[in-house]
Amino acid sequence: VVPEFRGSNWKGSVTSRSHSDIGDIQKISTRGSQATCSSCQSLFRGATTFERQLSVELNPGSTSVPPGGDLLHIRAVENNDTLHFLFCSQGAPALLLVHTNSSSSTVQVNWPLFSARNTSGSLKVVPESSVLYSTAVVFSRLLEYDDTNNTADPTSDFFPPYELQNFTWSRLNLSGPTALLCGTDATFTNGSLCLKLSVFDSEGRGLSPPHLLHTSNSSQMEVWLDGLLPRANRSRFLLELQAVGGAYPLSRVDTRRSIDDEFTPSIFKVSQWVSAPNGSSDVLGFVQWKPVAYRQTNPSLENATPCRHSDPRPQNGEVMAASSSLIRAFYPEPEPFGLNMSFGLSGDPFYNNTKYLSWTVLVGIGSPPVDSFSPLVIAIMAVGLGTPMILLLLGGLWVCVRKRAACSASSYQPIN
Amino acid sequence: MAGSEEQRSLLGDEDEPLPGGKTSRGPGRPLPAICDPNHLLHRVVVLLFMCFLGFGSYFCYDNPAALQTQVLQDLNLNTASFMQLYAWYSWPNVILCFFGGFMIDRVFGIRLGTIIFSLFVCVGQVIFAAGAWTNHFWLMELGRFVFGIGGESLAVAQNTYAVNWFKGKELNLVFGLQLSMARLGSTVNMNIMGWVYNKIAALVGGPGYTALGISLMIASATCLFSLICALVLAFFDKRAEKILHKEQGKTGEVIQLRDVKDFPFPLWLIFIICVGYYVAVFPFIGLGQVFFIEKFNFSPAEARAVNSIVYIISAPASPVLGFMVDKTGRNVVWVIIAVISTLASHMILAFTFWNPWIAMSLLGVSYSLLACALWPMVAFVVPEHQLGTAYGFMQSIQNLGLALIAMAAGAILDSRGYLVLEVFFCACICIALMAVVMLYFVDYLRGGDLNRSASARAKLQKEGTADAEIKRRRSKLTEGDLARLAPMSAFGLRNRYLSRLGAQLPDHCSTHLSSLAHRSVLK
Repeated sequence: VVPEFRGSNWKGSVTSRSHSDIGDIQKISTRGSQATCSSCQSLFRGATTFERQLSVELNPGSTSVPPGGDLLHIRAVENNDTLHFLFCSQGAPALLLVHTNSSSSTVQVNWPLFSARNTSGSLKVVPESSVLYSTAVVFSRLLEYDDTNNTADPTSDFFPPYELQNFTWSRLNLSGPTALLCGTDATFTNGSLCLKLSVFDSEGRGLSPPHLLHTSNSSQMEVWLDGLLPRANRSRFLLELQAVGGAYPLSRVDTRRSIDDEFTPSIFKVSQWVSAPNGSSDVLGFVQWKPVAYRQTNPSLENATPCRHSDPRPQNGEVMAASSSLIRAFYPEPEPFGLNMSFGLSGDPFYNNTKYLSWTVLVGIGSPPVDSFSPLVIAIMAVGLGTPMILLLLGGLWVCVRKRAACSASSYQPIN
Repeated sequence: MAGSEEQRSLLGDEDEPLPGGKTSRGPGRPLPAICDPNHLLHRVVVLLFMCFLGFGSYFCYDNPAALQTQVLQDLNLNTASFMQLYAWYSWPNVILCFFGGFMIDRVFGIRLGTIIFSLFVCVGQVIFAAGAWTNHFWLMELGRFVFGIGGESLAVAQNTYAVNWFKGKELNLVFGLQLSMARLGSTVNMNIMGWVYNKIAALVGGPGYTALGISLMIASATCLFSLICALVLAFFDKRAEKILHKEQGKTGEVIQLRDVKDFPFPLWLIFIICVGYYVAVFPFIGLGQVFFIEKFNFSPAEARAVNSIVYIISAPASPVLGFMVDKTGRNVVWVIIAVISTLASHMILAFTFWNPWIAMSLLGVSYSLLACALWPMVAFVVPEHQLGTAYGFMQSIQNLGLALIAMAAGAILDSRGYLVLEVFFCACICIALMAVVMLYFVDYLRGGDLNRSASARAKLQKEGTADAEIKRRRSKLTEGDLARLAPMSAFGLRNRYLSRLGAQLPDHCSTHLSSLAHRSVLK
C-alpha cells in the first residue's frame, strides 16, 4: 500500500536538544528513585505539539533489584492524559505503551508474580477504566543467514536463530529519559546486541541519522549489533519484531513515499506498521522507521545500508507471552503480529565488513509524525523564486514610467 | 586579412552544395582519390579520425557519473570526495581556457599540441584507473587533474583541425558531426560502463576496487584510441602540408587579460547566467544516477539511461534550436525560456514523483536552447578584438564555478540529502534567472542588439553593409595597423562555442556570424 504523500500536515521541524548525548550515559537512577526531566521549551505552537512532564522510575514498587532483569517505567503526563512507557528486560526486550485519559493513572506491579512470568494481570495500569489504548513491541529474535550468492534474499541457509529471551542482559543504564540495555547470547564469543530507548517530552528530531521526527507521543528505540562474530563470511542479519495492539492488531505496514530526504539523505521512504480499524485511516498506534540501517558507529550516508521488511504475519500469542514478562503480565491474551527486518540488499557489503549494524525505530500512539519541508527549504525557494519576480515587476514598472516620461516629453511638438 | 577572408569563405559556404568535393584542383596528380588531400574521399577519412580524436576524452569525462554507485562503494567514499573528481577536472581549466589556444598557436603548433593534449588525456585516465586499482584516492584525483589539463584544450585543437581541413567546404557539417560524436561518447559511456564493470566484477570474483580499476583501465583504451587518432592526423596534416604547401592551422585566439576591465555590464550579466546555469546542470548529471535509483526506484541501468538523455537530446536538438534562435532573434527571451524551463525541470525532480524522463527531457531541450541562445550573445556586447578574451574568461569562471559547486554539491548531499541539493540547484538557476531578467531590462534601456528580432537585425545589417564595404576597402590600405587588432575570427569563435558545453552554431550561422563580424561597423 503506497498512500499519497501528504505534505502539509505538520507544522515544522526542529532538532530537540533537550537530552544528553549518547556518549555520556551515566547512571543517575537506581532502584525506586525518580528523575524528572524538565520540560524543554517547544519552538512550535499549535494543536499537534504537546509537552509532557516525564518522570522516570526503575522497577516501580520493588524493594530489591529484581533478579531476572529490570523494568523501566517512564510516566509522561500532559494536562488530561498520561502515557506510560514500560521497558522490560526480563526475557526478550519489550516495550509497552499505555495511553490513559487521566493525569493521575499509575502502574502497579505484583513483583513475585511478574518475575515468575506465568500469570497475566501482575502488571496493571490503574484506574483500569482510564486506559484508552495500549501497544507493545517485543524484539524477539535475531536471525542470521549465509548469503553465498549475494542476493540478500533470506529464504534459506539460515543459521539457528538467536533467541533474545535467552540473552544475558545487562542492568538498565539510565540517563534522563533514555535507557541503554545490552545483551549477549551464551554462544557469542564477543560483541553484543544493544537497545537504547529514548522518551521525549516534546517534538523534535533524533540527534544522529536517520534523524527521525518524534513527538511527545512516541519513543525511539535504537538497536545495534556491535562486534558480533558472524558465523559465515557472507552473513547477513534479520531482526524479528512482534507487536501487540490491543483491540486492533498491528496488521499492516504502510510505506509512504516522501520527497523530503533532508534529514535522512537519499532515503525517500518511511514505513509505518500501524494498528488501525479495518479500512480506516485512523491510526491508534504505530511502529515507524526509515528503511535504512548504518554500518558504522558514526552514521552517515556513506555507511548507510537499505533494509526491507517482510509482511506482518499473525504469531502465536502464547509463545510471545512466554518470551517476555511484560507481555505476560499485561496482556491476558495477546494477538501478536510479527515481521522481519532484513538488513542490506543484494550487492551491499556484508556484516563482516564493518561488524556493526544500527537501526532506529519509533514506537508511539496516535498518528505517526509526518515530515514536512524544513524552514530552510521553504526560505530558499521563497527567496529564489520571489526575487526574480520582484525584479521583473520593478523592472517592468520602471520601463513603463520611462516610456510614459518619454511620451509626455515628446508630446510637445514644435508648431511649425 | 585572414579573419575577414575566412568569414567570407564561411559565408560563401552556404551557397555551395554540401558535397563540395568536386573541386579537383591540380590535374595530373597521380594520387588515388583516397590519398589525395584535395579529394573529398580523403577528407572523409581524415574526418573519421578527427571525430574519434575527442571521443576518448568525452567518454572518460563522465566515467565517475556512470560508475557512481561502484566508485562510492568500492572506495568507501562519501559524496563530497566523489565530487572532488569533477572539481579536479575543472581546476586546470580555470587557467587553461586562456592559454590553450595560445599554446597551440605559438608553442606547440596544432599537430604537436594535439598529440600532447591527447597524451595528457590518456595518461590522466591511466593514472585515474591506476588510483582506483590500488585504492589510492589521491592518485585518482591527480589523474583527473592531468586529464583536465588535456581535455578542454583537446576540444580546441580538434576544432582547429576541422577548420584547417574543411574551411570553405563542409565545415558546418563537420562541426555538427564532431558534436554528435562527443555526445555519442558521453552517452555510450553512461550506458556501457556499468555493464563493463559487472563483467569485470564477475571475472575477478566480485566487486571491489580491483574491478573498478580494471574497468577504468578498459575505458582508457578509448583515450589510447584517441591518441592514435592524434598521431594519424598529425601524419595526414604533415603530408597535406607538403603536397598542398599550406600553413599549419591556427586557433586564431588572442587573449588579453587587460580587456577584462573594459567588459560592459551586460557581459558580466551573461557571465552570471553562464555560471549560475551550468553549475546546476553538470554537477547534477554527475550525481544523478544514485538520485534516480533512490528516489524513483530505477534500476542502475535505467538510471544511467535517464541520466544520459540530456546528452542524447542535445545532439539533434542543438541544430534545430539553433536554427530557430537564428531565424527569430530575440536571444534574451530564448534564454529566459531556457532558464525557466530548466528551473521547472529541477523543481519537478525535487518536489514531485513524476517520471524523471519528463524532467530530464525538458532539461535536455532547455540545455540545448540555452547553449544556442546564450553563447552568441557575447559577440553582440563586446567588440570583435575582445571576443577571444571574453569567451576565454567566460569559460574560465565557468570552470571555477563548476569546481566550487561540485565540491559544495557533494557536501550538501552528504549532510542534507537530495531535496536540499535540488533546492540549492534551483537557487543557482534563480540567480541565473535574476541575471537574465536584469539583462533584459538593461538591454532594453540601452537599446542593445540582444533582444532584437532577426528581421530587425537583418535590416540593420543591410544598412551597415554599404558602410562596411567602404570600410573594408579602406582597411586594405591600413592592413598593417589592423593586424595588431587581430579580430577573433569566425572559426575562432567556433572553437569556443564547441566546447564541452555543446554550444553548436548551426549551419546557417555563418550569415549570423558575418553580421557579428561587421557589428563594430553597425554601431
